Amino acid sequence: MTISSGYFQMCEGLPGREGWLNFNLMCEKLPDLLKGVPLTIELVSISLFIGLFLALGIAMMRLSNNRVLNGFARGYVFYFRGSPLLVQVFLLYYGFGQFEFVQQSFLWPFLKEAYWCGILALTLNTGAYTAEIIRGGLQSVPFGQIESARAMGMSGLLLYRRIIFPIAFRQALPAYGNEMILMVKGTSLVSIITLMEITGIAKQIIAKYWTPVEIFLIAGLLYLILNFLVTQLVKYLEIKFTPYLRHPK
Amino acid sequence: MANALEIKHLVKSFGDLEVIKDVSLTADQGDVICIIGSSGSGKSTLLRCINLLETPNSGEVLVNGELIKMSLDKKGQPQPGDHLQVDRIRTKLAMVFQDFNLWSHMTVLQNVIEAPVHVQKINKIEATKCGLELLTKVGITEKADDYPSSLSGGQQQRVAIARALAVNPDILLFDEPTSSLDPELVGEVLKVMKSLAGEGRTMIVVTHEMGFAREVASKVVFLHNGRIEEQGAPSEIFNSPKSERLKQFLASNLEG
Repeated sequence: MTISSGYFQMCEGLPGREGWLNFNLMCEKLPDLLKGVPLTIELVSISLFIGLFLALGIAMMRLSNNRVLNGFARGYVFYFRGSPLLVQVFLLYYGFGQFEFVQQSFLWPFLKEAYWCGILALTLNTGAYTAEIIRGGLQSVPFGQIESARAMGMSGLLLYRRIIFPIAFRQALPAYGNEMILMVKGTSLVSIITLMEITGIAKQIIAKYWTPVEIFLIAGLLYLILNFLVTQLVKYLEIKFTPYLRHPK
Repeated sequence: MANALEIKHLVKSFGDLEVIKDVSLTADQGDVICIIGSSGSGKSTLLRCINLLETPNSGEVLVNGELIKMSLDKKGQPQPGDHLQVDRIRTKLAMVFQDFNLWSHMTVLQNVIEAPVHVQKINKIEATKCGLELLTKVGITEKADDYPSSLSGGQQQRVAIARALAVNPDILLFDEPTSSLDPELVGEVLKVMKSLAGEGRTMIVVTHEMGFAREVASKVVFLHNGRIEEQGAPSEIFNSPKSERLKQFLASNLEG
C-alpha cells in the first residue's frame, strides 16, 4: 500500500456530499491544489526580485532633478498604481498579440506565453508600488546622518552603500512586507490568463464538481499559510536589522 | 611650516541674506579657537564653510597650506572644484555636530571604525583596536556593542568625538557640541574636549560655553552679523572687551 492510496482511503472516511460541507472532496482535492503552490511561489519570487531592481531605478529617477527622468517615473507610478492589476494583465496578454512588430520581434517567444505576460504584469505592478516605498525610505533618512557621513569623507556610491541605503532599507521594511503580502494575493489574478497556480487549479476543479465553497476554502487556506510565512520572514528581518527599534522586555 | 588652517576673505550668503561677510581667520598647530556670538551671527555657517558642508560664495580656505579648489557650475554658482580633494581634506577635518548625528543602524564601535575602514581603507582588525582605544579614551568602552539610540546625549556626543578622532584628523571642528545636552551632561563632554586640547590638538569650537572658552581657548573670536567684531586671547576678550556689542553679549551670557 502506497502512501498516496493510504491518504485517499483516509479521505473516504470523511463526511461527503450529504453533510454541510463535502469534506471528502476537500481532502481528495488538496493534493491537486498543492500542485499550484510552486507556481504561485515562483511568480511571486521572480516578480518581486526583478521588481525590486526596477523599483530602485524608478525611485532614483523619481528623486532626480532631471525633468524627463522625473516625469517618466511619475507617469509610470501613476499608471501602474492607479489602474487595476487585472486590467494590466489583460492589456499585456491580449495587447501584445495585436501588433505585428511585437509578433516579429525577438521578444515574441516570451510575450506569447501567458507565463511571461503574468510575470511582466506582476513585475511592473510591484515595481510601481515598491518605487514609492523606496522613495519614502530614502527621504526619511535623517539629513544629519548623511551630513556627518559627508563630513567624514564619504560621497557618491560609498555614501549610498554604507549609510543611505541601509537606513532607507530599514525604514522601508514594514511597508515592503505589506507589498510582499499583496503580491502573494495578486498572483491569483493571473489565473485569468490560463496560468495554473492555486486559484487557476481551484477554478478548474470547481468547473468540474461545482463545489466553490469547499475548493475556495482550501485555496484561501493555502494563501493564508504562504502569507504567514512571509510575515514570519519580515518579522525575522526586522528583528535582525533593527534591534534598536525594539523595546527591551 | 604652513598654518593648520587659514580662511581668507570668506563670504557666504543664502539667497539675498549675507551670513558671512569677508571673514579671515588663521589657526596655528595646537590652537584652540573658540567662536562665540549670539544666534544668527553666522558662527555655525562659518564652521561649516571650512569643510564645505556649506559652499562659500567667495574667499579661500587652506588646510595645512593646501588650497581647497573651487569652480563655477553652469549657473555661475561656486561649487567644489575637485570632489576627491574635498573628500580627502574632510578626513583631515573631522567634525562633531550639535545633534551628534551618529549612524542609527550601526553600533557604537561600528560608528567609530566606519570611516577608517571604508574611507581610509585601514585594516578592520587594526581599526577595531584603535576604535576600542578611542572609546576607552572618551570613557565609553562598555557601550561598544550598543546602538546609539540606547545612549544618553552625553554618551552619544562622546562617541561622536571618538568617531571624529578615529580618522586621525589634523583639525577638529566642533559645532555647538553641548547645545543639545541636558545641563548635567554638559560637563562630561567638556571634560573630554579639555583633555583633547591638553594633547595639543588643533580645534575650532563654536560654543556657548563661556567657561570653556575662557579656560581652554588660545584665541576667542567674537562674531557679530557675519563679521569678526573682536578677537584675542581669552583674558582680553572676557576681562577687557573693547567693542560695545561684545560687552553687551558678555553681560547677557556671563550673568549668574
